[in-house]
Amino acid sequence: MYQALLTRRYLFRKLMPLLAAVAVALCTAMVLIVWSVMGGFLDRFIAQGRVMVGDVAIMWPTAGFAHYDDLVERLEADPEILAATPMIESFGVLVMPGDRRETVIVKGIDGPGFAEVTSYADTVWWKPLDEPLARDTKGEDVRTWDDWFLRNRAGWERDEKAGLSLTKTDAEGRPAPAVVLGIELTGANIRDPRGWYDPGAPLIRRGDGSSGYNTGFILDDRVTLHVVPLDAGGRAIEMVTRVFPVANEFQTGLYEVDSRAMFVRLDALQEMLGLDEARRLSGDVESFDPLATTIDPRTGEERFAAPPAEVVDPARVTTVLVRATDRERDPNELGEHVRSIYAEFAKAHPGQVPPAEGFGAIMIRTWEDMNRTMIEAVRKETGLVLFIFGFVSLTAVFLVLAIFWSMVSEKTRDVGILRALGAGRAGVAWLWIRYGIALGVVGSMMGGVLAYFVVSNLNEIHAWMGRALNIRIWDPSVYYFTEIPGGLEPTKAAIVLGAGVLASAFGAALPAVRAAWMDPVRALRFE
Amino acid sequence: MAGVLLESSGLHKTYRLGKVRVPVLRGLGLSITEGERIAILGASGSGKSTLLHLIGGLDRPDRPKDGVRASIRYRGEELVGRSARSLDAYRTRSVGFVFQSYHLLPELTVLENVLVAAMVGRGRLGFARERGTLEGRAKELLGGFGMGHRLKHRPAELSGGERQRVAIARSLVNGPDLLLADEPTGNLDTATGAAVLDQLDAIARASNQTMVMVTHDAAVAERADRVLHLVDGRMADDSEDGAASGEDTVGVSAEPSVGVSEADPG
Repeated sequence: MYQALLTRRYLFRKLMPLLAAVAVALCTAMVLIVWSVMGGFLDRFIAQGRVMVGDVAIMWPTAGFAHYDDLVERLEADPEILAATPMIESFGVLVMPGDRRETVIVKGIDGPGFAEVTSYADTVWWKPLDEPLARDTKGEDVRTWDDWFLRNRAGWERDEKAGLSLTKTDAEGRPAPAVVLGIELTGANIRDPRGWYDPGAPLIRRGDGSSGYNTGFILDDRVTLHVVPLDAGGRAIEMVTRVFPVANEFQTGLYEVDSRAMFVRLDALQEMLGLDEARRLSGDVESFDPLATTIDPRTGEERFAAPPAEVVDPARVTTVLVRATDRERDPNELGEHVRSIYAEFAKAHPGQVPPAEGFGAIMIRTWEDMNRTMIEAVRKETGLVLFIFGFVSLTAVFLVLAIFWSMVSEKTRDVGILRALGAGRAGVAWLWIRYGIALGVVGSMMGGVLAYFVVSNLNEIHAWMGRALNIRIWDPSVYYFTEIPGGLEPTKAAIVLGAGVLASAFGAALPAVRAAWMDPVRALRFE
Repeated sequence: MAGVLLESSGLHKTYRLGKVRVPVLRGLGLSITEGERIAILGASGSGKSTLLHLIGGLDRPDRPKDGVRASIRYRGEELVGRSARSLDAYRTRSVGFVFQSYHLLPELTVLENVLVAAMVGRGRLGFARERGTLEGRAKELLGGFGMGHRLKHRPAELSGGERQRVAIARSLVNGPDLLLADEPTGNLDTATGAAVLDQLDAIARASNQTMVMVTHDAAVAERADRVLHLVDGRMADDSEDGAASGEDTVGVSAEPSVGVSEADPG
């Protein structure tokens, strides 16, 4: 009982223990922040890795494969598959307003189908918001405005719809294919650390090296896309150029994707790349003589020779994306299941599509396969960084030890008094250990609050550091994400705070033993 | 008739000062009757405080010397050789200490300083059960010493006399059988010291409290029922016998001042 009373009194009447508590707070906050950011980075990476690819991808790059509609149908008939959608992935050069040019990853998609397999609908940026974002207390997000470049709510709804369908009405009122660009691609959008973009009129860099101000909203503009179709051997044929209206922009949060990728309507890209349905004549077309005759072996009569037959080459895609019904299912099992469905499909189209197994087999990759290197690297890095910071945090144990050692010296007479009153060695030791625990609890709580504050406002703090101190730690082009990921998980917080309390108790243990074994008579004489 | 509360014999205690061994007590014996108020008079370094620490269970006598085994018997039960835990319990229940330097805990209030003695030896539940009674007793004691209005003050806000009154209240809160006072007025001016002693006397007489007080002040010693002179670790009056047997023993006395000399300041 007396330990509780003295712990309370010692804790708040001395500066030294409060300094020790601050040390514990800083160490716990440091570990918690690092773990939250690294863990958030890993979680975000895993989650975002699936945003644009679904769960499994069936791929045959460059040449593509035919009869994909049949494959999609077979996949969607399986109860373990929720949806499947065709896609073409290629490269191109995009010329944007202001003559800005970028090499881009061009993805041809069927908007609605793609949205069923991926989180595409969520990534379409310019759309009406039912509620402003949580941190948008002043209504700065233009999506909540009613007068941004003649857009009211209905206007934003039209933009969203155009983005989802990748279709816009042309000058003659006819629906025409459109593109959706990564939000970091144009360079026109300024990202606010609070979570939205200002599509203002920033300084832009032109292709010729000059610079100027962008004067309009990209959704009211057009872009030019150059792509190079390849023949069956992978050789370039001739560059194809087409001008597209911009239907919308998308944001995945992966900087690498948002700054380098764009979507085009599937049929438009198929056409540009020569992957659309084609009709051709079979046989020797060059030497065909329309006046040549032949004898019908059945009737023996002479008649005109038959012209070369018209053959239809079906449209092709490079990829079919698949979404599983159970997204928690083991990716490898799912991959094997998809392969078995593909095998049936390949049997139905012998010689026309890549085989399911063996040399030259189709590529079937799970989302984890596609991101394995990065995920494993981040996982290892998280463990390593946590170990290093945890080790650094051991300094708190020694700091508590040093401070408690000094306090026990200072409080030698108190120990003597307590012993004279009948306190035993165990009781005196418990007093100091309890004091250490109390200090650990106070320090850990402070650390927890500090970590929560920092993690919750990481991007604002980073933005402030950039403005006030010109320090930019987070480079989105290096770290993939446009904002610093993070989030305090209760389990992680409990582990770190518990470790803080334990560390403090450990630090107090040796001084506690010293106090317990003090000779009470000498302690009473201590000056 | 009052019985013997504490009886000791063959008490030796030697301290080390670097490489030098300094004998402080040399085979000392003592007998204390219940309700008796004894003053032990001696010069600085004569072993007065050491004797209090030994009979208070705060320190242990030296190991047997010349075949004579040290003994401290409290109500007939041997204390020498007891476990540390047992001595802790003895100090909690049976002994109250008053020190020259008051030895109050600076972070605690006056009331808490008194109650802390009651907390030691009682668990959280034990104290919680008796809290009302103990607080009442602490306030009563402090009120008796004229400290009732300063319950929430801290030691640093008190005068020397007030601190010593709080220390005395603390020593009495558990209702000990034996009160051991080590120069209780040593740090006080004469008038304050006298006032403190008056109050201590009054309480001791009212509750028939057994008390051993060490002092080097003959005037203070005069208030006791019996005065023992401690010189160089031995009781001065029996030095001859003690020298022969290797120990000094002051006879058991049920009556005040029997077998001991009056304090002689000269």
